Amino acid sequence: MLRKRIIVCLDVQNGRVVKGINFEALRDVGDPVELAQRYEAEGADEIVFLDISASAEGRRTLLDTVRRTAENLFVPLTVGGGINDVSDVGLALRAGADKVSINTAAVTRPDLIGEAAHHFGSQCIVASIDARLERRQVEMITHSDGPAAPTGAEDSATWYRVFTHGGRNATDLDAIEWAVRCAQLGAGEILITSIDQDGRRAGYDLELTARIGEAVTIPVIASGGAGTSEHVRDVFLLAGADAALVAGILHDGATTVGALKQYLAESGIDIRQGPVEMPQP
Amino acid sequence: MNIAVVDYGTGNLHSLIKALERAGAHVWAQADLTQALSADAVVLPGVGAFGAAAAQLAPGIPALHAAIAEGKPCLGICLGMQLLFDTSEEGTGSGLSALDGTSRRLTGRRVPHMGWNDVEMVDDPIFAGMSQFIAYYANSYVVEPADKSDVIAWSRYGNHRFPAAVRRDSVWGVQFHPEKSGADGLRLLDNFVAQVGT
Repeated sequence: MLRKRIIVCLDVQNGRVVKGINFEALRDVGDPVELAQRYEAEGADEIVFLDISASAEGRRTLLDTVRRTAENLFVPLTVGGGINDVSDVGLALRAGADKVSINTAAVTRPDLIGEAAHHFGSQCIVASIDARLERRQVEMITHSDGPAAPTGAEDSATWYRVFTHGGRNATDLDAIEWAVRCAQLGAGEILITSIDQDGRRAGYDLELTARIGEAVTIPVIASGGAGTSEHVRDVFLLAGADAALVAGILHDGATTVGALKQYLAESGIDIRQGPVEMPQP
Repeated sequence: MNIAVVDYGTGNLHSLIKALERAGAHVWAQADLTQALSADAVVLPGVGAFGAAAAQLAPGIPALHAAIAEGKPCLGICLGMQLLFDTSEEGTGSGLSALDGTSRRLTGRRVPHMGWNDVEMVDDPIFAGMSQFIAYYANSYVVEPADKSDVIAWSRYGNHRFPAAVRRDSVWGVQFHPEKSGADGLRLLDNFVAQVGT
């Protein structure tokens, strides 16, 4: 039985794991190598490094960090952020990443996904999509006794718009259609992040996740919104996600990977249970 | 003891090399198959696509095939396991033909088959000390051995049951990634190194 996965995401800047406070001040929370190993020991199924370094020097530092991490990490490591071309993919994989996630660069030039998949295999290419729920520009009618309602059917009144550059730039792409296109181009997984839910800790966007999952035949990783163990359960049971990305609730100690997995197992979800003890070298 | 990890030039070898070193081997990455044969054992890692890897290995394949026939220990991982066989649906070119069969595209609700899955083990020294094993997979193709007695472990995906590991004499192949399968994966690599040493 293929298990549902818990993927732990670490934001890395200039070779250190950082945590944002109100999207402004970044606080140093530790060494990526040590933190990755700690989460592996707790039972994390995979680790993601999201590079938020703005400079070229920061990116070079990341590759060194990836190298040191890979030598001591025996679960898969994905690197995202700043992957702009096939050469960047190759450098990240050679440094020790098992997969790379591509976001803005794929929107800018969709063929990058196909080229990277051809060179390195689909299994190491994660198409990362940031999406936000928006109202369609349709004619509105105003009821005297209530709020404005769209003239169209309810399910066509809204859509999920794709954003790039860390959620700052709007595109004209529909997230569901873009996910299908990424899969056709050769992506091996879709990482879908709800901009609306990200950081709110009110639960994943279940509808977005479910709709992506119905539209593609590659694995789907849900991201953005985990605030409790119940939220993670729901994205597996109600939205059919294959994996859940978790960050904040682990980093601030609200729960642990082990406790989360224990809860998921008790909820009837097929999960690989942690923690695990690594043999001594 | 020396182990050569064959380098197709595409992916992460750090975890695999480190895992084999932890098991006590002296390990190096080697792009040239002929030179890899000077090692006590050869590991074919699991990154890249069949066609490209087969093309790159082609000049050295007869020599490695002969070395394996004479008892050179070899471990193929994921794509490396598929390269132990004759051909693959994934691409053109020939594998090592150390084992008879081909690789076919996996059928299932979602492909690639990605994540941790149970391995049903048959008694083999490479599984020594392991009672239960959940391994990490990242594959779209699985091998179809002509001789089912080569299979030493199975996994299930959807309605499909496929070989998780194969063995013939001193050649092993594993469809999962032991270097990415946590503590039990490291144990399997320890066991391989121990087998090379015997």
